[in-house]
Amino acid sequence: MADRTFEMELDRLFSESPVLPDAEVFAMRVTERLDRGWTFRRLLIGGLGLAGGLIGAGQILGSGVLTRLDAITAQSNALVRSGVAQLPAARSVTDLLSAGASIDGQILWMSAALAALAVGLFVTRAIREI
Amino acid sequence: MAMTPSPNSRASAHDLDLVALAATGERDAFGELVRRHGSAVRGLLRRMGADPALADDLGQDAFLAAFEQIADFRGEGTFQAWVKRIAARLYVRRWRRDSRVDLMADPPEQAPETGSGQAGAADRIDLDEALRSLSPVERMCVSLCYGGGLSHAEAALALNTPLGTVKSHVKRGLDKLRSRMAPSIALAGQHPEDRESAAHG
Repeated sequence: MADRTFEMELDRLFSESPVLPDAEVFAMRVTERLDRGWTFRRLLIGGLGLAGGLIGAGQILGSGVLTRLDAITAQSNALVRSGVAQLPAARSVTDLLSAGASIDGQILWMSAALAALAVGLFVTRAIREI
Repeated sequence: MAMTPSPNSRASAHDLDLVALAATGERDAFGELVRRHGSAVRGLLRRMGADPALADDLGQDAFLAAFEQIADFRGEGTFQAWVKRIAARLYVRRWRRDSRVDLMADPPEQAPETGSGQAGAADRIDLDEALRSLSPVERMCVSLCYGGGLSHAEAALALNTPLGTVKSHVKRGLDKLRSRMAPSIALAGQHPEDRESAAHG
């Protein structure tokens, strides 16, 4: 028999393999291991994310950001109070508007900031609703 | 949005379609591929010399590795051939670690067996039985090249052995297989009546 013919026959015999009786069980085991791997990965990624978040939060708190935030808030409060104190005594809105000439730049900036804050709150709420 | 195929459509789907689904993370599609080709992969590992338990373990490992690398499967050959190559390489690695076989040494000459191996017409061609007559190294080299689909050079690389050594193991193994199986193979191509007459002289 020619070598090539024998080799071709050997190739064919190797490619023919009977279906083993526990083929279904084998497939189930592989799928189970795949599922286990995915669950483990999900837990690992979630755990690492949580740990990373906690470490990050710890770093932020440790850097004294709250103290700085307190100082900024106190400064802002003082600024607002001094702004309000400088407002001309007005009994109504019309009085206030008629005294428009006396409204200085600080009040305008504060109004703009409040408006921006209101818009920001509205947008946040709208995004949540969506 | 992509529709998730039903189990019935999965069973009739082509391997390449299942591979594409598995590449997107569809584990059920990959499960169908395992159902289809698991026996062939484990069969190869057994033919290479692994006992059934080890063949099952390495077969599972091979499919898990295939799932991890499924994006690398380009569809140039069949999916089964691709997983077989992965499984064969895994077995070679295990075999090299566990066995103390000297790949460079010539295997001891075995007395040619007569009887069931020199098949009569009634005997079926039993590749598994014939493979058992080879030395472990010959069996490994022949199975790698003919069952695992590795070239001689790839087998040499996997076994960390010179190419010439692999070639000589393959040649010696083929000679032994031929002497055991050739009569059966020759008869396999004949008409059943001719086979009967050949069997009875």
